[in-house]
Amino acid sequence: MDTLYSDLSKNLTQPIIKKLSQNRIKTLIDFLQEDIEKLSNLTKLEIPCILQIRKNIFEIYSATVVNSLSLFNTVCSRITELETGIESLDSILNGGINIGYITEVCGLAGSGKTQLCMQLAVNCVKNRDKTVLYIDSKGDFSAIRIQKVLEECSFSHKEMAAVMLKIKVAFIWTMDELVDILLQVKNNKNEYNCLSLIILDSLPSLMFQHFGDENKIGLKFLNIFVNHVKYICKTMEVAVICVNIQTRWIDQSVSDVNDNESSDLTTSDTYYRENINRCLGKYWKNIPKTIIILEKIRQKNTQIENNDTHIQTTVLNCDIGQIKKSVLTITSSGVI
Amino acid sequence: MIINAAGLWQKETSLPTIATFSRSLDNVLGNNGIQLGSITEVLGLSGTGKTQLCLQLCASVQVPKSLGGLEAEALYIDTNTNFNLNRFKEILLASLEKCHNILKITKSVNIEDALRKLHYVRTSGLEKFCSLMYTLPKFIEERPNVRIIAIDSIIDPFKEGITLQRRTGLLFRLMADLQRIAVSRQIAIVLMNQMSTRIGLSTGAVVGALGDGWAHRCNIRLLLSAPRNVDAERVAALLKSNSSPETVGRFRICQDGIRDIL
Repeated sequence: MDTLYSDLSKNLTQPIIKKLSQNRIKTLIDFLQEDIEKLSNLTKLEIPCILQIRKNIFEIYSATVVNSLSLFNTVCSRITELETGIESLDSILNGGINIGYITEVCGLAGSGKTQLCMQLAVNCVKNRDKTVLYIDSKGDFSAIRIQKVLEECSFSHKEMAAVMLKIKVAFIWTMDELVDILLQVKNNKNEYNCLSLIILDSLPSLMFQHFGDENKIGLKFLNIFVNHVKYICKTMEVAVICVNIQTRWIDQSVSDVNDNESSDLTTSDTYYRENINRCLGKYWKNIPKTIIILEKIRQKNTQIENNDTHIQTTVLNCDIGQIKKSVLTITSSGVI
Repeated sequence: MIINAAGLWQKETSLPTIATFSRSLDNVLGNNGIQLGSITEVLGLSGTGKTQLCLQLCASVQVPKSLGGLEAEALYIDTNTNFNLNRFKEILLASLEKCHNILKITKSVNIEDALRKLHYVRTSGLEKFCSLMYTLPKFIEERPNVRIIAIDSIIDPFKEGITLQRRTGLLFRLMADLQRIAVSRQIAIVLMNQMSTRIGLSTGAVVGALGDGWAHRCNIRLLLSAPRNVDAERVAALLKSNSSPETVGRFRICQDGIRDIL
């Protein structure tokens, strides 16, 4: 919370601020919560003066009312999607990754989440004067891989360097450090004014560190994280991608002997049903606006001609419940 | 600390890797062997050569700089009492002699000096393992030349005395602390893991132990298997990697350690 400062009112001079501070009234909140008469006695100011200062604080700090037509115009003038540069992905995403919202990439281990994220980082800065912030929480970012992808796309050394200079990488290991990075971005908006995309790979490897704690501190951190991210992506107009993982569990059910419909079937059959679950719990479930689910397609034939991996991609738009599917391919020259 | 990818690339390409002494296996791992700063998980049923590979890597880290090696030391954390000193001595001697032959050094290998470069810790049980992990930063600070930390195996301390949820929490905390040191000091982390059975999975019932969440944590996962049980031939498949395609390679385990199939 901000401390009292003299710009609030001409009556609020430095000696008065000092006097208030000596009486443990330091922040704006302290000032607003204090009894007006007591403030008047302390500062030797008239009560209307105190009221004027209060009014000024409210005016400066309260949210403003915007006419919906002017809001519509500002929204229309903005770019709402960030093109991914992968044609099939753009088409199922209805144009690209939403700017101002959180997009989730999820899938089982080894399904190509990190590969997709690195590709998106490259594509976002390739032909634009923008930067990407890649927050890596498990040391998975490989600059060598990025360079190989660019090399396959026949970039010159100079062009490669130019692209790679625009990808900023932060290695973090705890939720604490994650929040610190976001605060750093929030408080240095000018430094990050070219930022177009923030990628966090991955959230579960941070959140799982708080698994099994009874104090729910992990949930607290997740909440702080979501608040900061929402603020940053709205005010700075950036897209945010969070990597989540899936886990599987097996439903085992023995068919009921008394069940009339299945009585003619073998009675002691055991059914196994595989369920796939997005991690991070119920709170997180409705946070992302769009969810990109990746699933590796297993090649049936043993003869593998090349090292390309095919990924079934499903995009779920949470607002309208729309599902669209496509297939991506991971090759030596990146994700296409 | 935020760095750009170009700076990171310079750092990554300047780092050597730890060779496995099998070209085929090195190719599968990509970038010529085990990466520094990454967590590599080696999976396999018993008898597929996990511990042998581990011993080979602890010997490989001593390869002289003139051959592109690290000339460094190793820390071996033994949680399942699989370590065999005589076997390590055998592999170490053979590996260093091979280097001497290539460099045409006639002087014989000083095995005592070489053995001093392996730091061996045996831990049994979860408490001892955790307290070791907490003192690790200090240990590494005192021995800055350690460039590989091998844990054989990661599952053993967690086999009993902890609930599943707490196990996940603890494992991820330990790994975060471990990788923080690994990245800042450029140390390779190699973890051995066993296989477990989960009936009903569409991708096959035999999967790596510790669950799906854990599968996501390691940077590189390598699966070893023995196609013919009696043979020394082994197959290695890359299950996951941040920089290389998922390929399959072959190697053999001989008296000298891990080598290519002739």
